[in-house]
Amino acid sequence: MASNGQALLRVENLRTHLFLKRGVLKAVDGVSLHVDEGETLGLVGESGSGKSMTSLSIMRLLPKHSGRIVDGHVWLDGTDLTTLPEDEMARDWRGSRVSMVSQDPMTSLNPVFTVGDQVGAPFRYHKLAQGAQAVRDAVVKVLGRVRIPSPERRLDNYPHQFSGGMRQRVVAAMAIACAPRLLIADEPTSNLDVTIQVQMIELFRELQRDSGLGIILITHDLGVAASICDRVAVMYAGRIVEVGDVRTMYRAAAHPYTQALLNSIPHLGQRRRRLYAIGGQPPSLIDPPVGCRFAPRCPRRTAKCDAEYPPEVELAPGHVTACWHPGPGGSA
Amino acid sequence: MSLLEIRDLKKHFRVGGGLLSTAGTVKAVNGVSFAVGEGETFALVGESGCGKTTIAKMVLMLERPTSGAILFDGEDLASMGSAGVKAYRRQVQTVFQDPYASLNPRLRVRTIIAEPILAHGRPERATLRKRVEEVLDVVGLPKTAADLFPHEFSGGQRQRVAIARALALNPRCIVLDEPISALDVSIRAQILNLLADIQERFRLTYLIIAHDLALVEHFSTRVGVMYLGNMVEAGPTSEVFAHPRHPYTQALLASVPRPDPDHRPPADAIRGEIASAMAPPSGCKFHPRCPHAMPVCNTEFPGWRNLGATHAAACHLLELT
Ligand SMILES: Nc1ncnc2c1ncn2[C@@H]1O[C@H](COP(=O)(O)OP(=O)(O)OP(=O)(O)O)[C@@H](O)[C@H]1O
Ligand SMILES: Nc1ncnc2c1ncn2[C@@H]1O[C@H](COP(=O)(O)OP(=O)(O)OP(=O)(O)O)[C@@H](O)[C@H]1O
Ligand SMILES: [Mg+2]
Ligand SMILES: [Mg+2]
Repeated sequence: MASNGQALLRVENLRTHLFLKRGVLKAVDGVSLHVDEGETLGLVGESGSGKSMTSLSIMRLLPKHSGRIVDGHVWLDGTDLTTLPEDEMARDWRGSRVSMVSQDPMTSLNPVFTVGDQVGAPFRYHKLAQGAQAVRDAVVKVLGRVRIPSPERRLDNYPHQFSGGMRQRVVAAMAIACAPRLLIADEPTSNLDVTIQVQMIELFRELQRDSGLGIILITHDLGVAASICDRVAVMYAGRIVEVGDVRTMYRAAAHPYTQALLNSIPHLGQRRRRLYAIGGQPPSLIDPPVGCRFAPRCPRRTAKCDAEYPPEVELAPGHVTACWHPGPGGSA
Repeated sequence: MSLLEIRDLKKHFRVGGGLLSTAGTVKAVNGVSFAVGEGETFALVGESGCGKTTIAKMVLMLERPTSGAILFDGEDLASMGSAGVKAYRRQVQTVFQDPYASLNPRLRVRTIIAEPILAHGRPERATLRKRVEEVLDVVGLPKTAADLFPHEFSGGQRQRVAIARALALNPRCIVLDEPISALDVSIRAQILNLLADIQERFRLTYLIIAHDLALVEHFSTRVGVMYLGNMVEAGPTSEVFAHPRHPYTQALLASVPRPDPDHRPPADAIRGEIASAMAPPSGCKFHPRCPHAMPVCNTEFPGWRNLGATHAAACHLLELT
């Protein structure tokens, strides 16, 4: 979608497919987005829509045997990451210039090593601290930044001795250890209580102010997205269906899927007997429909929606949607 | 009578003793009591690391309490015979926080869902197949999902599998530890509506752990607010949310991020560092971070104060009124 000359990250027409026994799953099917320096882009949307696959593509951490970027570019600071040899990606980019807080803290943490060993690894690997004591001090400091209480005493614990939210913060500590240019945070706050969420959001903001860090925040929490993102992109079935600045997206969303998402959330202080839920299922990504992928569940569906994928329209500067019938929605 | 009753429950862990650090005790749960009536939804909320999952694990008999008691239908778990324990395990099921860790990656979904059924009986193959497909349908997954492995699903889809497994045995009580934090909001709504429907239909009792307070307000009938191993406030959800009396509950509610770009949660609703369960503060454990702390808060642990028939909080401020 709309791209900017001096964007920190520019993803162009990314297609990432998973080659599975049951067929080719088009997990990411033509995604374009950009993140400027010091900016936070929210990536929200349906479960299974390809948000994690998009971030794993940027990190070049796709499932080894099945996953492959089949088309598109990922420009970070002017370098196309998709064309880099793996050793260069590992040495100079992954974990240093671009890092990720993965959705599942337990897969990023090895159960047989202590938390201190693991948080120390990026410091040792990228040679940011020399000697055991220096690494240890660096680890204590970064664990303190993500608000782990008594870090010097919990360093020698194993991941299973930490609570869910503590593990998530440990993974965040590993991601910010090397002062990256771009941080991809996949559900970084979903297991955290709200007060720590606020503190993590503050920590991210601080990093942005200090170093111009760009952030992609993947979240299902539209409250968290509203309070931290500058822009928000909504994904559905492997594609971005709407993107815009945060106010536009919350106040004047034009795509029926975005509107349905906003209608589905419970609001503090308004107890409803039932929550609004979108009926039906998302389409198969192995055999996606030719037309709009949301059409079968959409209240505005017409014959055209089934026949042809809608073109992107720019409704206002930076506010782009792919819909045949964009416009304000009724409330649920 | 309550279906589930927790009495003065404690769980202490020994940790540390590494090369450079000294060993110590984590007082993960330090004297918690509450009761959950049949058909009710009791929500446990509170800071990360305050002991919620540890309570859930003790209820599920995955951890043994250091002291205190858990009663189910009036019967103490500790004194149940093996038949009683088996029946209990059948009636109390769970959906855990982490949809990745909780599903065995080497098993197909069909086997994952059938596992608890087979642990409690030997149904015919056709019956088993039908039940698996039934519960998949209940959680909105197609029949074909039964033949896939967990890694073939997205995070949210995996959590639906975990919910299907919990439903397989028609339990009386389900412990839900962050059951929907991995789901997108639309599926969250579907799952919450679904959990509400089956609760009504089968008079299910839920013990739910959640950080999303809007969800807790919507979904639970009663709520218990925990801080560092203790319960600090408990009562009917509508009352606690409308009139929170403990300063920690007040701060928690003030911090909730809203789906409104112009609302900024106050960064200073709670001051100071998160306290450590290894070296908890004296007196009221919240006092170093409390905006209303008084000298007594530093020295004396506050007792429960009744604020209505079923609403109570533990705070010295309440003694002043
Ligand atoms: N290792 C894998 N093997 C096969 N299919 C996979 C694998 N990982 C993901 N998928 C599929 O790829 C699609 C995109 O998944 P992805 O994890 O990117 O979704 P997501 O948007 O991050 O969802 P969630 O919000 O649930 O985390 C889904 O249909 C999922 O089932
Ligand atoms: N097996 C264990 N060994 C040592 N310490 C443990 C163990 N399990 C939990 N703890 C500690 O007990 C405390 C409570 O953990 P618990 O998992 O119950 O927290 P929680 O309230 O569920 O937090 P979260 O919201 O982050 O999931 C934490 O300090 C944790 O590190
Ligand atoms: Mg994901
Ligand atoms: Mg927990």
